[in-house]
Amino acid sequence: MSRKNSIKFSLIRGLAAMGIALAVAFLLILFSANGSNLPEKFSSSLAALREMLISPVIRKNGTFSVKGLSDVLAGMIPIMFTGLATCIMFAANQFNLGAEGGIMLGAFVTALVAIYLPLPTPALMVVAVLVGGLSVGILMLIPAVLKAKLGVSEMVNSLMLNYVIMYFINYLMNSYLADTSKGITQTFPFRANALIPQMINNGSRLSWGFVVGLIMVVLSWLFMYRTRWGYGIRMTGINQPFVMYSGMNVALIVILCQVLGGFLAGIGGGIEMLGRYNVYNWSALPGYGWTGITVAILAGNNPLFVPLAAFFMSYLTKGCTLMSTNANVPSQLISIIQAVIFIFFAAQQFMSGYRQKLVVKSAQEEQAKARQEGERSDQ
Amino acid sequence: MNIFTTDFFFSIIRIATPILLATLAAVIGEKGGVSNIGLEGIMMMSALFGSLGAYWTGSWLLGLVIAMVVGLIEALLMGFFAFKLQTDIILVGTAVNMIGSGGTIFLVKTISNTVMGQSLTSTTSLITKAHQIPSISIPYVRDIPVVGKVISGHSLLTYIAFLLVIFTIILLYKTPLGLNIRSVGENPNAAASVGVSVSRIRYITIGIGGVLAGLGGAYMSMYYAMGWSLDMVAGRGFIALAAQSMGGGEPVGSMLAALVFGFAQALGIKVSATGVDSNLVAPIPYIVTIISLVLFALNQRRKERKRFAAAA
Repeated sequence: MSRKNSIKFSLIRGLAAMGIALAVAFLLILFSANGSNLPEKFSSSLAALREMLISPVIRKNGTFSVKGLSDVLAGMIPIMFTGLATCIMFAANQFNLGAEGGIMLGAFVTALVAIYLPLPTPALMVVAVLVGGLSVGILMLIPAVLKAKLGVSEMVNSLMLNYVIMYFINYLMNSYLADTSKGITQTFPFRANALIPQMINNGSRLSWGFVVGLIMVVLSWLFMYRTRWGYGIRMTGINQPFVMYSGMNVALIVILCQVLGGFLAGIGGGIEMLGRYNVYNWSALPGYGWTGITVAILAGNNPLFVPLAAFFMSYLTKGCTLMSTNANVPSQLISIIQAVIFIFFAAQQFMSGYRQKLVVKSAQEEQAKARQEGERSDQ
Repeated sequence: MNIFTTDFFFSIIRIATPILLATLAAVIGEKGGVSNIGLEGIMMMSALFGSLGAYWTGSWLLGLVIAMVVGLIEALLMGFFAFKLQTDIILVGTAVNMIGSGGTIFLVKTISNTVMGQSLTSTTSLITKAHQIPSISIPYVRDIPVVGKVISGHSLLTYIAFLLVIFTIILLYKTPLGLNIRSVGENPNAAASVGVSVSRIRYITIGIGGVLAGLGGAYMSMYYAMGWSLDMVAGRGFIALAAQSMGGGEPVGSMLAALVFGFAQALGIKVSATGVDSNLVAPIPYIVTIISLVLFALNQRRKERKRFAAAA
């Protein structure tokens, strides 16, 4: 199949997956919308759907909302990082699901540095985020080394670690770190010079961390597609015996991709913390790790498509929140939509009949062209 | 303080039951080459519909049946995506777990809002003792000193769970279906070459797992706790995967592993009763999982070394 057709196919297939997800969403909204009879329910469902799809960036009076857009962009920050982390780990077929706990640990460690380490202005920010990232990278050595050396499932271990991280942080917060003068469990405020400056001061919390995220996207892409190690990671996912027999160190690749993934999730947590908050107050896993998995699947494990996928997910999340406030449909609808899109996206055989048709068509076209050329040369 | 009382051993069995049910699902799944990491999500969904079903029908038995049916449907849907549409089964499982966490709260809010006109976030307020799976006091056994107190008086489902261990052994090793499941798990091409319908066997494998996980979910909301609440399964579906691999994929070994987790958690509850921060105790089962997976892998490796040495 030609490159053009192949892109066309991926595009149509992606749109079809989204279409199915929205249809499922509509049915569920119809089920939950206000109204005593069917027509009434139908119109309130349509209103709810419009709320979800349009109102994130369009105001009630039909004008474009800059604040809405910056909200969506700000929402992309954490899931870009967890998305990148998941891309790199999944590309090597390492189903490490630790980005969820990773982003929480990164946020927590960064917060501690930002509170207790007196450093000058630009250094504190950078050091805090890097320490947050490194701590998660080091923690990911547990599932990574156990997988590489003993063949223990990285998936089960990373899932278990998520819970351990959450409880351990909550323990530290309750016992030692919480500011007891406050009604809720939170730390003391960060040092003022640790806060990441905002790109736009409208309350969206769109910090310069967004740009750092985009830079990491480019760096991750360069790493995955332009370096020997990135090649090794991708090849391990496609054909692990090949990597082994061609003399690369598979165990090291398995470890490397998970440590890098952990590092990315960790700095994501740190940047989210310093860009959005001024105290640490997460008491449960934030869910960004799971959204990151969806982002990675939508992006086809290619870092370059991560911003697009993250935008889409952030937009839908905001849409679902608005829908729950204005149309009385529970915002958790997002997790169902997310699961449906991602399961169809990842389905290799989804619309394979259509792909078959495209392949046959392009083969026939090529044949016809060859025949024409043949006739021309005969003349 | 003596913590090893009959109550303590009783609670090990009580805590291990849902893990055991999910573990059996994992054992059968892995034998058939179907790694179902969606057990967690299936348990969540079945827990919700089991308790809602019991409330609607007024009968715990129908609630239990509904939980099993929901587990079965969800598992077969997973099968459709994994086998028919060729989605990586780990991703299908992840999607099921997402729905199990966020989707259940959506459903409970929506259903309660539509049916009762008020949006609930748990079913605790609906459930009375009559909706719960009954406990069974076994005559004669309960009179045996010490042992009677430990093994009598459990939920009906607990006894079913331990009977299901025997059922699993018979299914896998004494029936033609079990032979087919194992052969598809070991070598699908060989199985297909002798006329076994690989996809049919896979659907059956994942379906049985769905029903078992459904029972595990029902136990959570219809016995262990009063009614369904968010994230109540709390990783038990994942712990079951660990128990399966610790038990070497065999029913009896995996049952013992499930009991080890029951022990770890029961111990945790005892310790937190002495005033230790529960956040320090709650992660114990998860840490035990990691440590025991490592010990198991080391043990496997030593066995393999021995085999090599014997061969050489």
